[in-house]
Amino acid sequence: MAGRKLALKTIDWVAFGEIIPRNQKTIANSLKSWNEILTSRLATLPEAPPAIDWAYYKANVAKAGLVDDFEKKFNALKIPVPEDKFTALVDAEEKDDVKSCAEFLSLSKTRIEEYERQLEKLRNIIPFDQMTIDDLNEAFPETKLDNTKYPYWPHQPIESL
Amino acid sequence: MLSRVVLSAAAAAAPSLKNAALLGPGVLQATRIFHTGQPSLAPVPPLPEYGGKVRLGLIPEEFFQFLYPKTGVTGPYMLGTGLILYFLSKEIYVITPETITTVSTVGLLVYAIKKYGASVAQFADKLNEQKIARLEEVKQASMKYIQDAIDFEKAQQALVQKRHYLFDVQRNNIAMALEVTYRERLHRVYKEVKNRLDYHISVQNMMRRKEQEHMINWVEKNVVQSISTQQEKETIAKCIQDLKLLAKKAQAQPVM
Repeated sequence: MAGRKLALKTIDWVAFGEIIPRNQKTIANSLKSWNEILTSRLATLPEAPPAIDWAYYKANVAKAGLVDDFEKKFNALKIPVPEDKFTALVDAEEKDDVKSCAEFLSLSKTRIEEYERQLEKLRNIIPFDQMTIDDLNEAFPETKLDNTKYPYWPHQPIESL
Repeated sequence: MLSRVVLSAAAAAAPSLKNAALLGPGVLQATRIFHTGQPSLAPVPPLPEYGGKVRLGLIPEEFFQFLYPKTGVTGPYMLGTGLILYFLSKEIYVITPETITTVSTVGLLVYAIKKYGASVAQFADKLNEQKIARLEEVKQASMKYIQDAIDFEKAQQALVQKRHYLFDVQRNNIAMALEVTYRERLHRVYKEVKNRLDYHISVQNMMRRKEQEHMINWVEKNVVQSISTQQEKETIAKCIQDLKLLAKKAQAQPVM
């Protein structure tokens, strides 16, 4: 029963709080509290139990062979390390997440490009006091009055005036 | 007005501002070039700020500048006076009632425009400026909105870098739970074995004590039994004698 070295990663709790969306805050808090409970329990349990004083028992127990028997069985006993079924699940989830994050990143990049293009277009329009109505319609297509749909002045639904 | 059209037609032959400068220092506005055959130049050059300067409210300044090199300052006035007198005297222009109305109307118009022209123009300019300011506001708002959207996307991208903390926490939790279970099992085994050994020892101790007590009781009982009545009477008599002796000794002592 040798002690094992626990490989715990240091967690930045601030960053952990940042990435949680609002509707999952309770789950995140329960994760955090579990973490704290487990760390405290880990801290209270020493790594190995104290050794049993076989000599004392051997001297004092009258039944012959009982202590020897116990000692033999005790030393032969190997406590099974609880098997880890769950890290694999977490890893699989993380891989999926990495994929979806990459997707999100690429979508986000295209969105940023779109926004940049619109921004450039807005920045490059001529100053308003040098525009004609045609220039205005070019720069902001929504200002163009539709002469076919509304053939009579003012060429737009009256309610929107 | 006519002179201006003439000027622009002249400038159309050589469309450049350099030619317009030939017309003298009085020309304030850039000549607009109409129908040069090229497609419309966009952006359209801005409209001139002020109307062309006029003298006497009617005659454009360019005319005076045009005549200045040849006739000096008074030239156009002389020309005007001469022409008017000529037309009147030769009856090329006949004075009719219309003349009176023309003179009064034109005089009134010139006076009104000279007096109130500037303020009306200012008012109209202010209206225009308000329209433009509104448009400008809309444009700035759109630009700000887009900029905010870009910043938000960048922030989201930064957050993506931190996603792994979520899974780190989960993995840490799992590892800690396993370790805790393992240690608890170790401790339990130790406790159980120790319990059993201790039980044996305490059972032994108890048995020993019980045996001792029982033996003592048995020995006592037997001894008590073995004291027959005869021996009891003798022992009691002896005890009483000893006590009397002791009493005598005790009485003797305090006297001293």
